[in-house]
Amino acid sequence: MSYTLTINGEPHEVDAAPETPLLWVLRDHLGMTGTKYGCGIAQCGACTVHIDGQALRSCNLPVDAVAGADIRTIEGLDQDGEHVLQKLWVEMNVAQCGYCQSGMLMAAARLLEDNPDPSDRDIDLRIDNICRCGTYPRVREAIHRAAEIMRG
Amino acid sequence: MKDHVTNSATISRRGFVVSMLGAGGALVIGSLQSQAAEIGSTPWEGPVAEGAQQFTPWIAIQPDGKVIVYVTHPDIGNGPVTQAVSYIYEELAPRWDDLQAEYASPNRNYRLDNVYSNVGGPLAYFSGRSTSEPRRTAYMTAAAGARERLKAAAGAAWGVDPAAITVAEGRLAHAESGNDAPFTDFLAAAAAITLDPEPQPKPREEWTFLGKQAPGKIQLPLIVRGQATYGIDVRLPDMVYAALRQSPVMGGRLKSFDFDAIRDMPGVRAAVEVVPNDPGEPNKVEPPFPFGMAPLTSAVAVIADHYWQARTALDALPIEWDDGPGTKWADIEMMNQAAMAAVSGDEEGNVLFSVGDVEAELARGGTVVEAEYLTPYCDHVNMEPLNSTAIVTDDRVEIWHPGQHTQMAWAMAVQQTGVAPENVEAHQTFVGGGFGRRVFSEDARMGVAVAQQYPGVPVHTIWSREESMRQGRYKPLMAARLRARLGDDGLPTALHVRVAGGPGFWTLGVADQALPLVIDNVQVDAVTVSDFHILTGSYRGPGYNSATFFLESFVDEMAQAAGQDPLDYRIALYSKWADEGWVKVLEELRDKSHWGEPLPAGQARGVAIGNWGMGGRANAGTTCGAVVHAEVDAEGRIRLHGIDVAFDSGRVMNRDAVKAQLEGGVIMGLNMAMNEKITVQNGRVVEGNYDQYPMLRIGDIPDIRIHFGGLTDDDRYDEMGEPPMGPVGPALANAVFAITGKRMRTQPFREHDLSWGGAA
Repeated sequence: MSYTLTINGEPHEVDAAPETPLLWVLRDHLGMTGTKYGCGIAQCGACTVHIDGQALRSCNLPVDAVAGADIRTIEGLDQDGEHVLQKLWVEMNVAQCGYCQSGMLMAAARLLEDNPDPSDRDIDLRIDNICRCGTYPRVREAIHRAAEIMRG
Repeated sequence: MKDHVTNSATISRRGFVVSMLGAGGALVIGSLQSQAAEIGSTPWEGPVAEGAQQFTPWIAIQPDGKVIVYVTHPDIGNGPVTQAVSYIYEELAPRWDDLQAEYASPNRNYRLDNVYSNVGGPLAYFSGRSTSEPRRTAYMTAAAGARERLKAAAGAAWGVDPAAITVAEGRLAHAESGNDAPFTDFLAAAAAITLDPEPQPKPREEWTFLGKQAPGKIQLPLIVRGQATYGIDVRLPDMVYAALRQSPVMGGRLKSFDFDAIRDMPGVRAAVEVVPNDPGEPNKVEPPFPFGMAPLTSAVAVIADHYWQARTALDALPIEWDDGPGTKWADIEMMNQAAMAAVSGDEEGNVLFSVGDVEAELARGGTVVEAEYLTPYCDHVNMEPLNSTAIVTDDRVEIWHPGQHTQMAWAMAVQQTGVAPENVEAHQTFVGGGFGRRVFSEDARMGVAVAQQYPGVPVHTIWSREESMRQGRYKPLMAARLRARLGDDGLPTALHVRVAGGPGFWTLGVADQALPLVIDNVQVDAVTVSDFHILTGSYRGPGYNSATFFLESFVDEMAQAAGQDPLDYRIALYSKWADEGWVKVLEELRDKSHWGEPLPAGQARGVAIGNWGMGGRANAGTTCGAVVHAEVDAEGRIRLHGIDVAFDSGRVMNRDAVKAQLEGGVIMGLNMAMNEKITVQNGRVVEGNYDQYPMLRIGDIPDIRIHFGGLTDDDRYDEMGEPPMGPVGPALANAVFAITGKRMRTQPFREHDLSWGGAA
């Protein structure tokens, strides 16, 4: 099947079986490898992208279900790394191995877009990504600081 | 949406800078720009720029001023690459922004007579030892030599004494004559200079950067943009994808598969068999890691245009296996019982440590404490599933691999193919978590073996999460039985520890602690359960991660039997040990955790301490202790209020990097103790994904406080990744005992019923 996907504001043509997960379309068909494969069963969140403004796991989203949607990936967060979360992530030495962090950042960015002043509880509920390196304390601190900065 | 992002970033930028300057967190070197030391998106060694000059194999300076630093040890999230460029910065004084790291090629290492791997021996290409003395000296000596050559060349050109030339920010200056020029004016002249003797690195007292500044990891700007190339992100022209399945029972062999059943599925190109190597195969090069060449397991791989196609077809492929003897283990309980029987029986096994006469002392009677413990198989569950990319032809092999030991991946490619070592190249990619899983590099060998069956084309082999989890090299299942006799002061006069596990498990953890060294009569021995078929390996703090649970739970049991406070008891016990760091760590914990201050009913503090790497020596390794403040409700649910950590690695080189490793290690140690367990059914590993292997998430993590007051300032910068894996679990178990009276002697803790009636 041929699809036109809108990713980070740009149209992309792909030819893939309808049930192919968006994750693999991004990674293998389009070469956008910033979105990571971690589990394939929507548990770990390494593959988190935004679909029409919602943070979703792309590993179990068939491409057929997202044709026509507005898809945003880590490559579209800010290519120059100027998003406040990206800058804080660097400054606060948040990531360790970094593999889960695309998903972590996409989840955090969406949280802040929905909620400019998230409580610890809000973070607990919305950032349910797995990080084996244990960067959680810094992720939490960076989100709080980002919220402060974005509120001005 | 793009507008929104741009706006928020623009609005926030001013506030951002102010906020960071005000934070004073020592995370920044001084300005945002100074984070610009970098490593490429594809971090492996590339061609050297024209006109670049090598100053030893460790450094090249390019005509554009970039200083290329060749790094051996892969960064698995712990920062060794940043540490390497920090050494160069200290001695050479280039602009921080001009530093650029590349992973040193094992092929070049071979051609240059092991120039890289002679430093640090078998660990040369292995991560985690970036602060060790030989490695530090190698980098700093190379940089000092480059600096002095540049000064000599400038001195000759200017007709001035090189000793009067100062170096800063990539420039050479002579104050008296007013001469001032960039390094790049003198590259060729400097590279031609011979110095005899070579300059020595600066003594520590003269360091202006190392130990004083704490730069963040230089790859972070890539990571936050999704641009770091992990192994799984390697994309090559005409690349095909392979999905892999090995014998579900470890040690089994492929009998047959029916390719016709999937031949016509979309994108499918081939199904190939990987045949195990001959067990007696001779080494084709010296194995760089001391555990030898990793054997190849029996496997089948489906190759397709895309991974999803390969994986879908693999799932549909009819495969028959000859399971082998591992099927005798009907369930994990059978294996647990076999390990427990081994420690309870009379077989003495291999004596690892012995002093005095344990049995005679135990026979004296009085207060004798006795307990048995068990820890399960655990998988590393690195976030990046195992993978590699290889292209194999008759006379050449190239592999791109997210390993922990680049040289081992290279050696595996040589071993598997028999291609001449000089024609084998291994490219180090970014790595999505190491934790010891990626040291042996059997995954590199597997990728080469698959590509061998599909030659001339780059083959990207992915082990699915399920395949990665079910074909682990696990933290070993270990059982332990401990017996001690307490003297009149409550301290032990005799200790016997017997441990048991399958072949290849790490027994050294128990003997390699302070406890056996502070008791007059001790024996530590180990029994191997030889028919365990599950493969084990190094899991962050191998041996130590279980041993600390055994020993430090047992120390609590002894303290309880003696009727003494667990922390005071440890101070009394470990003050007999020659390394003052143990007591210093305990005192720091006592002071910072508010030890002894009353808590509400249902809450308690527990403490534990251990050392990774001491090897029986004082002032060696890193001592690490933790106090866990826990609450257990009436139904037995655990809630964590906070964890205090203190440690002694001698000194620290990069304070924030140390803090990050300890935070992360505490969380991994906590997950290991509370949640992790790999089980077996009819020989097959059951758990395949995170739904069966629970992981702590952000909402589960208590306040973790890292304290630096345990440092003794002993002249060493010891390791930081492994140490926190030891004390957290036993500290939690000890707190839970204090609350509930229930002693958790097996992991994971989630299996225990801790209901206790509650605080009322």
